[in-house]
Amino acid sequence: MLGIVIDDSRAMRKILRGLLADLGFEVLEAGNGREALDLLQSDGRVPDLALVDWNMPVMTGLEFVVEARKLSELRQMTLMMVTTESEHGQIVRALAAGAHEYVIKPFTRDGIIDKLALLGLVPVGVL
Amino acid sequence: MTNDVATTVEVDLDMIAEQVWSAFLNSGEDEAVFAAEDKGAHMDLAASVAMVGAYEGHLIVSCSHKASRDVASVLFAMEVDEVSQDDIGDALGELANVLGGNVKSVLPSPSQLSLPRVSATEHERWPGTVEVSRTVVSWRGEPYVLTLLSGSNHQEVSA
Repeated sequence: MLGIVIDDSRAMRKILRGLLADLGFEVLEAGNGREALDLLQSDGRVPDLALVDWNMPVMTGLEFVVEARKLSELRQMTLMMVTTESEHGQIVRALAAGAHEYVIKPFTRDGIIDKLALLGLVPVGVL
Repeated sequence: MTNDVATTVEVDLDMIAEQVWSAFLNSGEDEAVFAAEDKGAHMDLAASVAMVGAYEGHLIVSCSHKASRDVASVLFAMEVDEVSQDDIGDALGELANVLGGNVKSVLPSPSQLSLPRVSATEHERWPGTVEVSRTVVSWRGEPYVLTLLSGSNHQEVSA
């Protein structure tokens, strides 16, 4: 499986990359939504999963979700917001825009894995 | 009203700090003391995020150079002497971002959170603000001062 971590924090990208790699994902990284769209266009592959921060420069996570949902070739990509934005209204906005799941930082490793399992994105035998 | 907000936030600031240190920094029970004594130690660096909207203010994390290296070391899974200044800025900024986001969730909404900024404490001023809440986390023997400011002036200025 292929995943992409979109976060402007290198530390957070490293943490999430490690988590996904441990689950058997190949992992791409981008520092904001625009960079992610450009990377996906040049890479040509469609990730099974995108972990998306909200507050990022250039293009926010919400803007990325909106743009990604417009692209038919990315329709199969599962979008999980991983963000400090925890207001109910923000969560509703992200889900309404097309995000499938929402995880609030600080997260635990098990918390992310549980969400991925619910989405059917954890390989059998990992849990 | 201000006193009510301050009281509520003060309680939550300690609780939020505990959650963040536990989940974000893999802090064991023996490593961190929350609501620790404020000994007025010199803080070298300040990482802050601004809140704009229904709540106007800043959440600031201040700490020593050594403490900032410890945070970067854990988040980047590197030895302390391997972390760069960029690593420190990134890690401390993300710590402020996570703390600020969680603090914002217990404040009047809706509010927007700024991107984090990190700089030397002597270069940071927050004019037109008042301190709403403050707590100290002692982690691995180093103090981290968490300060919540209220105020509509978001123009942090260099000294």
